[in-house]
Amino acid sequence: MNNLLEQFLSEARDFLQGIAEKLMQLENEPNSTELMVELFRFVHTLKGNSGLFDFPEMTRVLHASEDLMDAVRNGRVSYSQTLADQLLEAMDFVSALMDEIELTGKTGSNHVGTSTELTNALRALLNAPSAVHVPVAIETYTEDGLAVKAISWSELPPMDLPESTAMGLHRCAVDGETVLWLQYTPEPECFFKGEDPFFLIRQIPDVAWRHIILNNTASTLAEMDVFSSQLVFQLLTIASTEELDDLLRYVPDQIHRVKVPALAFVKPTGNSDDVALDEDFIINILEFFDNDEIETLTNTINTMLELSSPELWSSSALRWILHLIETEPDNKPVQRTLLEALRTQKTPDWSALTLPDVEPTQNVVASPVVSVNISEISDTLLVYFNEVIEAQKEILSLPASSGGAWSAGRLKAVGATLIGCYRAVQRANEVEHIEDALKLALTENSPTPLLIWLDNSLLDTHEPVLVEDHEQHEEHLVANHLAAQTDAKSSRRPEEIGGANIVAASKTLKVDQDKIDRLMNLIGEMVVAKNALPYLANRAETVFGVRELSREIKAQYAVINRVAEEMQDTIMQVRMMPVSFIFQRFPRMVRDISRKLGKEVELVLEGEATEADKNIIEALSDPLIHIVRNSLDHGLEMPEARLAAGKFATGKLLIRASQESDRVLIEIIDDGKGIDPDVIKQKAYEKGLIDESTLERISDQDAVNLVFAAGFSTADVISDLSGRGVGMDVVRSAVEKVNGTVGIESERGKGTRLFLSLPLSMAVTNVMIIESNTQIFGVPMDMVVETVRVPRAHIRTIKQKQTTVLRGRIVPLLSLNDLLAKSEPQLPNEDDEFATLIVRVHGEHVGILVDDFRETVDIILKPMTGILGGLPGYSGAALLGDGSVLMVLNPRELI
Amino acid sequence: MAIEYKKSQAIFNEFIGVEEAEALLEWLQKNPKGKVNFAECTHIHASSLQVLMAIKPPIAAEPNDADLAVWLNIALK
Amino acid sequence: MPKTILLVDDSVTMLMSVKNNLEIAGFKVETAEDGVKAMAKLSSGLKPDLIITDINMPNMGGIELIKKARALPGFRFIPILTLTTESNQGRRDEGKAAGATGWLVKPVGGVDLLKIIKQVLPGA
Repeated sequence: MNNLLEQFLSEARDFLQGIAEKLMQLENEPNSTELMVELFRFVHTLKGNSGLFDFPEMTRVLHASEDLMDAVRNGRVSYSQTLADQLLEAMDFVSALMDEIELTGKTGSNHVGTSTELTNALRALLNAPSAVHVPVAIETYTEDGLAVKAISWSELPPMDLPESTAMGLHRCAVDGETVLWLQYTPEPECFFKGEDPFFLIRQIPDVAWRHIILNNTASTLAEMDVFSSQLVFQLLTIASTEELDDLLRYVPDQIHRVKVPALAFVKPTGNSDDVALDEDFIINILEFFDNDEIETLTNTINTMLELSSPELWSSSALRWILHLIETEPDNKPVQRTLLEALRTQKTPDWSALTLPDVEPTQNVVASPVVSVNISEISDTLLVYFNEVIEAQKEILSLPASSGGAWSAGRLKAVGATLIGCYRAVQRANEVEHIEDALKLALTENSPTPLLIWLDNSLLDTHEPVLVEDHEQHEEHLVANHLAAQTDAKSSRRPEEIGGANIVAASKTLKVDQDKIDRLMNLIGEMVVAKNALPYLANRAETVFGVRELSREIKAQYAVINRVAEEMQDTIMQVRMMPVSFIFQRFPRMVRDISRKLGKEVELVLEGEATEADKNIIEALSDPLIHIVRNSLDHGLEMPEARLAAGKFATGKLLIRASQESDRVLIEIIDDGKGIDPDVIKQKAYEKGLIDESTLERISDQDAVNLVFAAGFSTADVISDLSGRGVGMDVVRSAVEKVNGTVGIESERGKGTRLFLSLPLSMAVTNVMIIESNTQIFGVPMDMVVETVRVPRAHIRTIKQKQTTVLRGRIVPLLSLNDLLAKSEPQLPNEDDEFATLIVRVHGEHVGILVDDFRETVDIILKPMTGILGGLPGYSGAALLGDGSVLMVLNPRELI
Repeated sequence: MAIEYKKSQAIFNEFIGVEEAEALLEWLQKNPKGKVNFAECTHIHASSLQVLMAIKPPIAAEPNDADLAVWLNIALK
Repeated sequence: MPKTILLVDDSVTMLMSVKNNLEIAGFKVETAEDGVKAMAKLSSGLKPDLIITDINMPNMGGIELIKKARALPGFRFIPILTLTTESNQGRRDEGKAAGATGWLVKPVGGVDLLKIIKQVLPGA
């Protein structure tokens, strides 16, 4: 769906809401000019907007509504209850159309009837003639540039279809097939483009009627220009749009298409009778019809047909009536109109008639978003189920009773209710788990186990992770959160389970995560496999000496590369998920922890819709939970302390996500006591993280950054929440593992701001290949600032450390061989220059001397596992196109 | 292949290409009573089709190709 | 009688791959590596039923080839398809404006290729 359309839909819903509100208000103040004017403006704007798109049914109804409101506004028509009802009904229709547009991107042709009825009803209120001619069923095609000027089917030239053909097409249209009238006017010079319009038109399948017109411009045959096309082809087809688009894609501007509604075919043919049918007969059959005696009616008609000449117009009309009774038994108005037409012997002007529904308006069907178990349960039951469960959650969230202890009775009651509920939705297998959780809750005398169970299970198909050891239950809380988010198969967002969403349409396709992962891996392999082509090209040239073939391979590589990149892009999009996936568990967590600590905290979440790759989101979860707990534990003060410091007793914790170019920025901001740089300095010194001279010189900001240093923990008391030897250094390394960065800013007494910056996705890493000591290594490109060749003469040794000056800046130089504990010296090139990789490590530029640079490649970085996993200095390994393994360095750890 | 011009009949063989139109127009003008024989014809380029439509010559034989027959019926009736 | 197709592309791989597909389908295929070579073949008596040409080629590109071929006697009405890697509308339109009948988008699979050729080449 394009942006404009999306914008229209969202805005239109606001307008509809506004219209409904204003109408309600008008009921109380029917004379309020102000309300009237505003109401008119809403309808007017909505109508104007809908005109931007091709939704004729919607626009028509809105147009009539606007005219009516205009009359009300000007006092020509007075406001009434009926009028409000009629307008509301019209808006309901518009709203239903918008649902359909949202679902399919267009409106179906089956709304013509309702639309016309509503329009006429609105116009009736306006006391205006209702027979305003409105074009019906305008269909324009804009896909693939096949735009055509819209004309109404009622303006189509007469086709003189044989009755049987017309009936067949009518039946097709009633059955929901698209019957198109198509006109092809080849451009005169088309023969000189190698086209044969006649051949093209003959390829259109399922043609029910055809016509060719010769627009001969020459006055005499001798003057006729046989190589200038003067033909116009017209036909009726039930071929699919895709098929037609495909066939006609070279000549879209020469094609005119109109969708023909079923009713257009209802056109009795034949000789007009000298004498009209006996009026008694007509009265008779009308009576049968009105009394719904259909069998008698058909029998009577059949008898009449046997007695009359089949060539007569009236016979044809009677056959049509039989046909309509058979094909559209519920379309009484059309049947009746045709019966009445027997008197005049004229085909009714269907386009001017109030068109009844060709097909009943279909309500949006339930979408199969929720797992199978649930779809077997009625929607109503599910709504109730959710209500009851929500109520149980509320009960469990209530503060403990006066004694401070939870009454066992309350827990038991909740447990019993839950068991009942789950039985009712055929999930009796959960009963056991509920009983376990209840038992645990009773032992702990706390509602938490039940709450956790509820949060994790709801109606998902997975076994909940159960808290078993209450001593570790806080850890389990986190563990469960982690389990919840790594297990994306069970997306347990409450709104997805809510009854409303089951009815509401969703165009989302739920795909098993494993499949996505598999696809991702395959695409990854493809990216790697395609890297083999440059090698092949290289070999073709150097080994086999076929330069031509080498060039060919490279050209093919470019094509495959493009496709592979697009595939990658697409799969990345598929894997994107909103951060709300992690954020949503914070309210509960913050509530639980703050309560436990006796602190008062207001949690604010922002930017929950920000999206990032699933892996990133997953990698984010752990550090984020840790940071939030840290803020609660160490950042925010106790209420008394806050009051004493002149702050509100309630502390504020803001978690905000936003996207900055290709990175996600997550900020965790609290207005707590901030970090005292002096305390940090002292601690760091005591722990031997910094020496005395550093202690003297270090800036406050640098001091604050020390919290990320390994083995740093500031908690004065080891609480059971944090401070189990897991410090911010773990957060940092977790974030850096996915190529993220973490930073902190703090002001003493004011608060702390922690920010994580993470890439949007991490599947493909662009690395530069470098050579050192006859081996090749990869270095992630996002760490490489630049590559330079430093002449040996420019390398100075300061304090036994090699440095060079680069653009007026001193850059320390390290030799890769040294870093990897190799004794060999780096090799310079012929000009005695060293290949130097300038990398950014913790905000500083460092030069790494290598032997040579090679190309950059896209790789799928696989972290090393097992014993190798503990090896510092490497971020992982990747497979190269020639099948060899590339070790990818991690300069951060290396230096 | 192509159109074979006999004394009083133009015989259309299989597929009639774009370039045939000029000769066809000329022949039909010269032989106002000449008939057209489509029996073996499978397709006629639009250029010749429009010539036929402008003149509507008498038809000696309809095409065996059913689809072409339908179209020519519409075009030349 | 099999239809003859003149296939013009500077990529030998592309020539081979498309040629192979076409020959399997029963066409007779002549190839040329650029517009100049294609024009030389057309001027020296080759009378294909269809020309399929790449757009970007050294010496003489597809657009120029289309214009020059159309000016040759006997090729006024020949169907010509452009063969481009670009799926963008501009390139196709450029070809159409120069007198191409339609276009093929590379890489084009066997089935698509034959379907499209059958659509523009009567009797194929």
